[in-house]
Amino acid sequence: MKSVIIGQYIPGKGLFYRLDPRTKIIAVLLIMIAVFLLESITHLLIGFGIAFMLLIIGRISVIKVIKGLKPIMILLIFTFIFQIILNREGEMIVNHEMYLTLYTALFLVLAFVVWRVLVKFTRFRFTMFFLFVAGVYLILRYVDFGYQLLSPFNFQVYEAGLRMSAFVVIRLLIIITLSTVLTLTTKPTNLTQGLEKLMHPLKKIGFNSEDFALIISISLRYIPTIFDEANKIMLAQASRGADFSEGKLKDKLKQVISLLVPMFIIAFMRSEELANAMESRNFVPGNKRTRINELIFSYRDVIATAFSVLVLALAIVLKVI
Amino acid sequence: MSYIEIRDLDFSYNGKKKVLESINLQVEKGEWIACLGHNGSGKSTLAKALVGLLEPELGEIEIDGLLLTEETAYEIRKKIGIVFQNPDNQFVGVTVRDDIAFGMENLCVPREEMIEKIDFYAKKVNMLDFLDKEPTNLSGGQKQQVAIAGILAMQSEIIIFDEATSMLDPFSREELIKYIRTLHKEGLTIIMITHDINEALLADKILVLNKGKIEAFEETEKIMKKREVFVESRLELPIALDLANALESNGNATKIRKKLWEYALTK
Ligand SMILES: Nc1ncnc2c1ncn2[C@@H]1O[C@H](COP(=O)(O)OP(=O)(O)OP(=O)(O)O)[C@@H](O)[C@H]1O
Ligand SMILES: [Mg+2]
Repeated sequence: MKSVIIGQYIPGKGLFYRLDPRTKIIAVLLIMIAVFLLESITHLLIGFGIAFMLLIIGRISVIKVIKGLKPIMILLIFTFIFQIILNREGEMIVNHEMYLTLYTALFLVLAFVVWRVLVKFTRFRFTMFFLFVAGVYLILRYVDFGYQLLSPFNFQVYEAGLRMSAFVVIRLLIIITLSTVLTLTTKPTNLTQGLEKLMHPLKKIGFNSEDFALIISISLRYIPTIFDEANKIMLAQASRGADFSEGKLKDKLKQVISLLVPMFIIAFMRSEELANAMESRNFVPGNKRTRINELIFSYRDVIATAFSVLVLALAIVLKVI
Repeated sequence: MSYIEIRDLDFSYNGKKKVLESINLQVEKGEWIACLGHNGSGKSTLAKALVGLLEPELGEIEIDGLLLTEETAYEIRKKIGIVFQNPDNQFVGVTVRDDIAFGMENLCVPREEMIEKIDFYAKKVNMLDFLDKEPTNLSGGQKQQVAIAGILAMQSEIIIFDEATSMLDPFSREELIKYIRTLHKEGLTIIMITHDINEALLADKILVLNKGKIEAFEETEKIMKKREVFVESRLELPIALDLANALESNGNATKIRKKLWEYALTK
């Protein structure tokens, strides 16, 4: 197990690093709302262009943002495919027959095997996945010989399907780019502190934002420690012959349990000791405290907030007219 | 009246078995007390009672003239800090800076003052270059130093170490002990719980707990002459004590050599 990085914060300089976390949270929220209000592809593309420009202004490496997109890529692809296949509104743009014959099936299996093998040996997993999907499409489309397992069916793409899928994908891209910028440039501690301050007014309805921030910061503090511990326990068990990488599901389950039980016991003692340490240093829940990390709202924040308000206003205007 | 006074203290976790029984103890300001005792003899329990983490069943604790009650616990904890055994389970902050600040934040120390004090005490424990580091990047010894800095920054005058060196490697252990010595020289009152007899010998006085009762509480040199205290409380005998005994009873060189052998073998 590699050492874990919490959030994706990468130390650096540049405009976004110097903004108050509150500003960033508010701006991301406002722009998200704006993005959902936009109703034309052109506007969305302009929005995407603006998001991209922000990356350049903030001197944020595009590659890092793309890496941030990775986990959600599969979701994007499936959204795209489902929208295209299932949405049947508007004009029909593409319409042709697809076949599923014995040979198609063989080719599909072959493509699958090749894909899985390549994934094991190369680093371009997403490219491979794209190639696989494209391969499946081409096989279904052109391999029309052999014993028909299924009578030929129509592959149809409608205009609305294409438009909607483009819509969903661009929207998600903008939103994820923005939130990646937020997490890339903001320390987790500052992020929680920003949330704490922003949610402070919720105290009136009984939500204590300080407790919430404490929960988050303790979790952030202990995630790496707990991972280290899991590592140690696994090593200890591996040295006694346990194998975490192979084995049947039943064996794996056993191993996971043998990992979880000690971890919970340790966590239990840990929480007790941590509570003692906090109490002995005069921590009293709900008491007023001063803070070493103060958030400072500067002229930059005013400009950034104004900018995001402007974007939202523009989106509202576009929606109304 | 003494700086720390414990009078007729009884404690039990479940109301049945007494973990501490009729503890009477006086510690003067600036003293360094080592506390020895077998596993489960009640050392940690006593330490927790002193900082008000546990409430005595019977008896009283008074620190610097202030009787420990639920109301005064907050005041008392300003004077007395505790460093626990596991460095990882007392590091509250996300960074060294946050952790040193934690106690001061709870005391509502203004931010500018905190910044000054953090620098001052971080320097004191040689952690100034590590202020922005996270605990995963620190050794166990360094985490303990940070814990000490956090306590000192709260202007505590008494520090309890509950086996604070037991999870450290020999080098960090020595560093920490060296540091405790300087704290002692600067006039802090120190209560050091330990299983290491050689560590205990550095203290002014040694307190021996046995099954929740005080077996002995005397100056280190005096207690060193009392073999029976160690035997009675199931403690390891200090080698110096054993050699002295061997010399005294019979100045026979073979006997002393045998003792040294035994010592070398058990280490
Ligand atoms: N939270 C608890 N609940 C119930 N019993 C406890 C608790 N903590 C400790 N005890 C019991 O109280 C007795 C004294 O424990 P204590 O931790 O004070 O011993 P100790 O001298 O610090 O031992 P060690 O050298 O192992 O640290 C033991 O019998 C222990 O089992
Ligand atoms: Mg103990």
